[in-house]
Amino acid sequence: MPEWLNILIRSAGLFGATLILVRLIGKKLTARLTFFDLVTGITIGVIVAAISLNLAGNIINGLIALAVWTILPALSYILAIKYKTVRDIIQGSETVLINHGKVLEDKLMEARYTPEDLMSQLRRKNVFNFADVEFAVLESAGDLSVLLKKDKQPLTPQAAGFKAGMESVPQTVMMDGIIMDEPLTAMGLNRHWLHTELEKAGVAPENVFIAQVDSRGQLYLDLFDDAVRVPKPKTKELLFSTLKKCQADCELYALGTKNEQAKEMYGKSAAILTETISELEPLLIK
Amino acid sequence: MTIGSQVKQTIASLKGAKSTLEQFAAMEKNEEAVKIINRNAASIGKVILDMEKQLGELEFAEPQYKGF
Repeated sequence: MPEWLNILIRSAGLFGATLILVRLIGKKLTARLTFFDLVTGITIGVIVAAISLNLAGNIINGLIALAVWTILPALSYILAIKYKTVRDIIQGSETVLINHGKVLEDKLMEARYTPEDLMSQLRRKNVFNFADVEFAVLESAGDLSVLLKKDKQPLTPQAAGFKAGMESVPQTVMMDGIIMDEPLTAMGLNRHWLHTELEKAGVAPENVFIAQVDSRGQLYLDLFDDAVRVPKPKTKELLFSTLKKCQADCELYALGTKNEQAKEMYGKSAAILTETISELEPLLIK
Repeated sequence: MTIGSQVKQTIASLKGAKSTLEQFAAMEKNEEAVKIINRNAASIGKVILDMEKQLGELEFAEPQYKGF
């Protein structure tokens, strides 16, 4: 057998074997690398390369090494899920670098972090002033997690005193012109509804690239033909302005009538509608 | 336009708004949102009833414009 054929067969076989072995280790290795994960990954890669290029000498020896380096990490991950001590040994634990806005120099030393490293990691989190940081922890995967002081945190609707609208995840009901039945049924809709909505928008189904339905049943479309302008669903906005108009009408009638009883009724209706508008505003206007 | 027909128009708009809200409530999965929508649909319903009662009196006063 010529050398090149040998390498071809080996490499192809190892490719399949590595795919299976790597599945054994699980997904964790690719998610966020701790130092241990990094070492394991590199070692497996080097062993595979060595075997496939016939650098390992005996193929059996190579395969044994490969098996050990996949089974032991897989085992250690399983043990790590069960026992905290194992977890601390193989994954390391996180180190608090800044607490109550003060940099802990001894912890910095422990993590082999220079002040420049710390500042650069903070900058990566868009923190240019270390005094803004309340708490920062170095995760075992090597990235820094930062909690800003309360007054430096980004403004949330709650902090600003707004009521935010509630929205569930929109469902993608069409992709590449193909109707996806499962998300449609999950929303309690069917193909017939979708066809009606597409007709309303004046769009042919085969022209739709992506179609999404939001939690209030409104259809958002993107077409293959970008020259065609799709009307944005306006039901929510329309409903909101209708309510506002009705409220204004009631106030107008209250001013216009001379009948005391009617005046009171219109006034009350206007008040109810005002409350309704303020309650629905976060739901209808995003 | 007489006041009677204007009130009729407002009532019709309110009815439309109410049914749109009810449609949203039927689609919505978030329970809290459903509660808010239903509550407000009910209060709009109350307003509609009040105004319809008033409309009856208006029609009595302007009999020439009676009827929907």
